[in-house]
Amino acid sequence: MIDRRLFFNLDWVLVATTLILAGIGVAMILSASQTGRSADLYLKQLYLVGLGVVAMLTCLLFDYRRLVDRAFLFYLIAVVVLVYVLFFGPRIAGTRRWLGLFGVQIQPSEFVKLVAALFVAKVFGDSRQESLGLRDIAGPGMAVGLLALLIAAAPDLGTAFCLIPLFLSVAFLAGLRMKAVGSLALVLVVVGGVGWQYALKDYQKSRIYTFLDPSLDPKGAGYQKIQSQIAVGSGGLLGKGYKQGSQAQLGYLPARQTDFIFSVLAEETGFLGVSVVLGLYLLLLWRMLDTAQLARDRVGACLAAAIAATFAFQVVYNVAMVAGLVPVKGLPLPLLSYGRSSLLSSFLAVGLILNVRMRRFAN
Amino acid sequence: MRIYEDLRIVQGRLSILQSMVVGLLALLLIHFWNLQVVRGRYFRAQAENNRTRAVSLAAPRGALLDRKGLVLVENRPSFNVVLTPEHSEDLDAAVVRLSHALGLGEAVVRERLARRPSQFHPVVVKTDASLEDVAALEARRMELPEVSVDVVPLRAYPLASAAAHALGRVGEITERQIETREFEGLEAGALVGQAGLESQYNRSLMGRDGYRRVVVNSRGVEVGEAERQPPVDGPSLTLTLDSSLQAAVEQAFAGRAGSAVALEPETGEILAMTSIPAYDPNRFTTGVDAALWGRLSTDPETPLMNRVIQGQYAPGSVFKIVMATAGLQEGVITPSTTFYCPGHLSVYNTIFRCNRPGGHGLVSVEQALAQSCNVFFYNLGIRLEIARIASWAKKMGLGAPTGVDLPHELGGLIPSPEWKMRTQRVQWYGGETVSVAIGQGQVSVTPLQLARLAAIVANGGRLVRPHLVRSVGGVPIPIEPPVDLGLKPETLAVLRAGMRAVVDGGTGWRAHLDGLSIGGKTGSAQVVGKARLEKNPTLTAIVPHGWFVAFAPADAPRIALAVMVEHGGSGGEAAAPVAREILAHYFGLASPRAATTAVVAEVAP
Repeated sequence: MIDRRLFFNLDWVLVATTLILAGIGVAMILSASQTGRSADLYLKQLYLVGLGVVAMLTCLLFDYRRLVDRAFLFYLIAVVVLVYVLFFGPRIAGTRRWLGLFGVQIQPSEFVKLVAALFVAKVFGDSRQESLGLRDIAGPGMAVGLLALLIAAAPDLGTAFCLIPLFLSVAFLAGLRMKAVGSLALVLVVVGGVGWQYALKDYQKSRIYTFLDPSLDPKGAGYQKIQSQIAVGSGGLLGKGYKQGSQAQLGYLPARQTDFIFSVLAEETGFLGVSVVLGLYLLLLWRMLDTAQLARDRVGACLAAAIAATFAFQVVYNVAMVAGLVPVKGLPLPLLSYGRSSLLSSFLAVGLILNVRMRRFAN
Repeated sequence: MRIYEDLRIVQGRLSILQSMVVGLLALLLIHFWNLQVVRGRYFRAQAENNRTRAVSLAAPRGALLDRKGLVLVENRPSFNVVLTPEHSEDLDAAVVRLSHALGLGEAVVRERLARRPSQFHPVVVKTDASLEDVAALEARRMELPEVSVDVVPLRAYPLASAAAHALGRVGEITERQIETREFEGLEAGALVGQAGLESQYNRSLMGRDGYRRVVVNSRGVEVGEAERQPPVDGPSLTLTLDSSLQAAVEQAFAGRAGSAVALEPETGEILAMTSIPAYDPNRFTTGVDAALWGRLSTDPETPLMNRVIQGQYAPGSVFKIVMATAGLQEGVITPSTTFYCPGHLSVYNTIFRCNRPGGHGLVSVEQALAQSCNVFFYNLGIRLEIARIASWAKKMGLGAPTGVDLPHELGGLIPSPEWKMRTQRVQWYGGETVSVAIGQGQVSVTPLQLARLAAIVANGGRLVRPHLVRSVGGVPIPIEPPVDLGLKPETLAVLRAGMRAVVDGGTGWRAHLDGLSIGGKTGSAQVVGKARLEKNPTLTAIVPHGWFVAFAPADAPRIALAVMVEHGGSGGEAAAPVAREILAHYFGLASPRAATTAVVAEVAP
């Protein structure tokens, strides 16, 4: 089981940062939903934080190497579940992302990110090659690509995209040659072009068009971006005050409790609040990458890096989206956004990082 | 001794990733500085000047139609005066000006303002405002930019108090209701069904509200529409009620307190349902005023109660239908069994009297029904014993809710030794069985249960589920198949012959109509009503309630009904004539009273 001494090596800074961010999330959800039909959303999130802490601690009981050893099994399960959801999952708002489990709807794709992290840690952690070429990463790349495709078919493009930085960052760490990094970038551009032509749904395309020029459709797809930008900008240096944001409280920020929670924060607490929260995220990501540095083996380093990269991508993308810098995609802000699966998955991710760090001396 | 892996490359490249993260977050922070601090003033102006707000578009509630498609409940357009505090620069001054313009007390407006869920919520200051109000506000439009007039559908009941209890009423959602699951998602001020069908089918009738997202400038004046989600109308309900028959029933009571319900014996479709005194549901649609509510809810005549499903009375001699059925089915008597009636029966050290002091002589079950001979049924009751009586009464649907599609139906009571032991911890004694045999004592039933009892005899022994709604939005509601009680043909023959004899020269002769064969049964419910009598000595509360149940035509019944006239005396005197009026109207026949009024009408001009 677990050695009691391991707890002395627990990264309390990471734990505290995680809890503070989750707490800020609950407070912002309370503010964002006070006028809506679901005023008790913050309570649900609060329970979820409790559940998340339990999940995080449970995750510490198992040595991360044992988990990584079973990565292929997890991978198989993930594929089966994603295929099942795609064909038999309930259709909610035109998408099939959900899986009913014990009476609650969960979004398997959120947990598939963790499986993917374990998977790449297994593949690249066990590799003893000093430098990798494109051919060496083609196999694992396709395996992760399959997961991404299944998620993208839901359709849930945002989560599918998360797997790209996850895979690339670990491949990079494992010693992908710089030449290969360059050609990969080229491939991505080509794939992106083809994807634009054939894979993107119309609503996704129109989101990108209106991102490029929001005034094309100020009442439709450009609406979210414009309103979010106004909310953020009008927050000013110190914000309009907690629960006082007119943009948020008047209820025309869509998804203000979920994907656009940062926009509520920016409006009500201003640049000051934005700096504090971004600072906390920086601390969180720094501790995660630090864990990768300190890890006792390649497997641990790869696992921590994979998780850190996914986290970093989500944070940066979501915050950039709220600020109107990138197209709107359904991607929650980890730890802050309301969402059962997203929050639990984030806590489990932190749990895995803690797991790697506290076992760095253990044999 | 552990062997450390060589992690130098990994660690080196990690540093690159670390710097990337720091770099990206720093870039974001710079962007936010630019948005919030450098361009903050610009966006703040945008937020002020380009505000949009959601305006709810109330979905019209579904209409209620009678079985022929005539309108029973509909919506009419009305004006709501709405105050949007967010648009106000000086809310206090606005409240003063507004209450002056509308002739309302400032306190009323302030109280409504205080109840809004958030500072940004528009508040309805006055519902169903008059055209004068609207004109007064239009004239002050420039002084009161925060006030607007919305056109909203308002519930209208063109029949006023007719069938009021069945149709029900709407009212503002209460604070208690908002917290219940049933009303999840509704906000303060929403109109919901509060009684009758309006309550039973509330969710379906409400439809789905839509909204308009309008763009307004900083003065609150609408400058454009950003988005529109049209409301989905509530589907209309087609009822089983026949509004012409309903009117006839109301008229037949001529203002006396009581209740009546008529249904189709085969299907259980309710054709008319009346409870008097009633109230006008139109008075509730804009929120009831406290004085009216207080008067209605404390009135000893209980106008808010639907007597048809909530009035629990002793069935009196109508219960003899159950007794005859039980006796014949259990083989305790045959159609030819007779008992001798000397006008009373002495058992259990008590003298139980017959309704005819001189006695009926030797009577069969058919004659006993026709003459409502108590002694016959005392004898039958003693032989059946309470368990079998209770069992048949329950089988025939007495003492339990009928399952009609109305809220808050009561069940009445069929007493039994187990019930008495459980509730009073006292033994059952034989004399009580004798009282139960003529429908007195602890037995209590609702008028709807008795109408269904008549329907059982009419339809050949099947227990139907009474209901008021035929279809929702054109989709028929499936009818529950009736429960066959398995009555023997001879049982049915005796019941029908006995009930026909009630009207043809028996206790219910006043219900007779030329050209129509009617089966019926009279009854009277003894009432004590002591408490009410003490309050009001002139009240006739000591006079029993009169019952009459009937079906017609006797050979192929199309209607079954129960009539109860409160404190009307015997059922034959009070209730049978009311039933006659109802049946005369339904079959288009001239009733003696209708004939006189017709003559008067001819003479008058």
